[in-house]
Amino acid sequence: MIKKEKEAVIFQRLAVITLGLAATVSILPFLIIITGSLSNNELVSRYGYSIWPREFTLQAYRVILKMPDSLLRAYRVTIVNTLAGSTAGLIFMSMAGFVLSRKDFKHRNIISFLIYFTTIFGGGLVPWYIMITNTLNLKDSLLAICLPMIMSPFMIFLMRTFIANNVPDSLVDSCRIDGAGEFTIYLRLVLPLIPSGLATIGLFLGLMYWNDWYLSSMFITTPAKFELQFYLYNMLSGFEAFKQMNSASVSESVSIPSETVKLAMAVIVTGPIVLLYPFVQKFFISGITIGAVKG
Amino acid sequence: MKKNMSKALALSAAVLMMFGLFGCGPVSQSTAQSNQTTSSQSAATETQKAAETQVATGPDISERVDLQFMMIGDGAKDMDRIVGMVNEKIAPKINATIKWNYTTFTDAMQKYNLALSSGQNLDLIYTAPFLNYFSLSKSGAFHALDDLLPEYAPDLYEFVPEGYWKAVKVNGKIYTVPCTYKQYLVGGFIYRKDLQEKFNLPVPDSIENIEAYFLGVKQNMPEQLLTNEFPMAGIYQFNFSAIGVLDMYHDWANTAIYGLAARYSEPDKLFDYWASDEFVEEMKLMKRWADLGFWSRSALSSVEDMSAMQNGKTIGRLFGGTVNTVSEYNAATAEAHPDWKFDIALYSDNSGIVYPTHPIQDGIGIPIASKHPDRAVMFAQELLLDQEINQWTSYGIKGEHYDVDADGWYVPLQDPTVSGFSREGMLCWAWRNPDYMLFPKEDAYRIEMYEKFEKVAGVNYIGGFQEDYSAYQTERAALGTVVTQYLQPLHAGLVDDVEQAVATFLEQAKLAGLETIQQQYSQQWLDYIKSLQ
Repeated sequence: MIKKEKEAVIFQRLAVITLGLAATVSILPFLIIITGSLSNNELVSRYGYSIWPREFTLQAYRVILKMPDSLLRAYRVTIVNTLAGSTAGLIFMSMAGFVLSRKDFKHRNIISFLIYFTTIFGGGLVPWYIMITNTLNLKDSLLAICLPMIMSPFMIFLMRTFIANNVPDSLVDSCRIDGAGEFTIYLRLVLPLIPSGLATIGLFLGLMYWNDWYLSSMFITTPAKFELQFYLYNMLSGFEAFKQMNSASVSESVSIPSETVKLAMAVIVTGPIVLLYPFVQKFFISGITIGAVKG
Repeated sequence: MKKNMSKALALSAAVLMMFGLFGCGPVSQSTAQSNQTTSSQSAATETQKAAETQVATGPDISERVDLQFMMIGDGAKDMDRIVGMVNEKIAPKINATIKWNYTTFTDAMQKYNLALSSGQNLDLIYTAPFLNYFSLSKSGAFHALDDLLPEYAPDLYEFVPEGYWKAVKVNGKIYTVPCTYKQYLVGGFIYRKDLQEKFNLPVPDSIENIEAYFLGVKQNMPEQLLTNEFPMAGIYQFNFSAIGVLDMYHDWANTAIYGLAARYSEPDKLFDYWASDEFVEEMKLMKRWADLGFWSRSALSSVEDMSAMQNGKTIGRLFGGTVNTVSEYNAATAEAHPDWKFDIALYSDNSGIVYPTHPIQDGIGIPIASKHPDRAVMFAQELLLDQEINQWTSYGIKGEHYDVDADGWYVPLQDPTVSGFSREGMLCWAWRNPDYMLFPKEDAYRIEMYEKFEKVAGVNYIGGFQEDYSAYQTERAALGTVVTQYLQPLHAGLVDDVEQAVATFLEQAKLAGLETIQQQYSQQWLDYIKSLQ
């Protein structure tokens, strides 16, 4: 056994302490979210948040779960949308990345520029809205919450770099000599060589779809088609707006534990994605660094 | 070579952007205009056609149309069923179907504007001043209804009183069907009746008594927070919520924007409130209350918390409380705190000024993109005047969602939080018909108060006034900064020497161009008052 040097021991202790502190700082807010969501709203409003619940209650969750079928439907929309969007996005972007990475593709600089151009110049909100509602006629369609995020210039370029770094040209050439067509090369050679790239982009996409509420807000009018994030957000803004507007009759106004409901919502939406994270994480880390080091 | 290429690309990008910046405005405007003219032309020809056929058979409804109605907010769960019933009933009468689209409350304003500016296919839309009814009407977002109404909805035209039609006119044209239900959002001081009685304090119906109430509660419950007053940004007359209490003194027809107030008895005479002794005295009162600790020393960084009082965090609210608020608070705390009792001391009892909401408050407009404004107007008539349709879309299905008890009160049959159709679940503010309205028993207090208000109520001047500040935009922006920096602390009483602070504020305001603003605003206000007479 190698004897540890004194300095190494000190370094390790320091590292443990520093990282421990950093971990506490990161975990504390999350802990407050969880305990806050289990607290009595009135006490939270009066005395502020605390690490332990002042008075344990499931009040907030009860409000959210009052209509479990709507909540589950919103979950379903989000899950289906996330899976469909991420899968389709991965396919399209890896194909685009593959094409752009090929040096024998003559117009790749111009195409790259055109893709890049969209990141610096866009039409703005109104033309975009008109495009989707009037031209594509996607108002209140599930496609409207899926299509707009399916390709992103940043991720296409990330994919291109991944492929350029992991798939040597010579390998592609040898495949071609063996008689493989372009699509076979993409499917049988390129895809298996870039698992970390796919995982990284897949996670980006998945998070984007999971966290999206804006597209629902803009284009969906049927409550049954709301995504989870928007369903919850709208529930809260609905309560608040209703209070502000001039409702002649207020007798039915419901007292909503607004502070704790917000936290309970955060718990409900972060839950599943937090559980997913550890499984993808190892790809995620190697994915990002691979591009960086070899680039 | 490569360098040249990238230069060329950059240049072309810059050119494109220029087009983007300068090109879009006029182009879209002119297309909007041409749209407008073509659609008004087509409307005109349609009216002509209809008039020709009308000689024999009334309006032409041979073509079946699908109408779209856009609303702000959220709809009700069982709405589809009710809309189905409505469609069944209107089909033989006007040969049309209707579909309601709700924006949800999230970013409602933005979506509303987008829907109108993108020319989305809409036939009816909710209108309100907070949704820029004035400026949208002026820019041609809605069909003018002056000719459509008498022809296609004569009963509706008759039903809404003349004064209402007159009041909602913009540039001499009607652009919305106003709701005729009168509301009185009369402000007052919301307090805890139970505490006032328990500690034997005077009813807080005057400045002295409000002070006594606060001091009394503070003495008996030293830990209790008194109020949660908060700064209000971007407003030129109200910059701190607590000055709502000054409405008690102010017998005004407007809100003293830019310091210009007009007495209710003579609305055509504006005076400079900021320069008056009255203002200095009132700011001294604010300072006294701030010094007494009625609100926190850091109040200028607090945020509005609408449920502070019903959570027991505070025990007084100086701004924004109405009789509605009292019912709301009492209903919300009935279960958890049956001993709490909220009440209101109306400022109007002192000032003597009561007026209803302006007719413009809620209405139904017809977007310019509508291809069937005639049918839309006909539907509006059915919606307001057909008792069954009106009540279905306001209260749901009788016997399933609600019932009416022996005394005529509305009784909900389902728990409001999960109800398929809670009261006014489709947000029927725009098509409330006072003759068909149903109220729950808890509203008795409010109805009684409204009846009281109705007896003393006068004209609502301010509600119909639309300020056009394009001519003094720069000065206004500069004044905005001055107001936040100097007027806000004055309003919150957080200054050392009131007289000194008022002088500084006026000096800075003058530098920002207050005089120009006042001059232009006065002109607009006086023109408006003249137009009413």
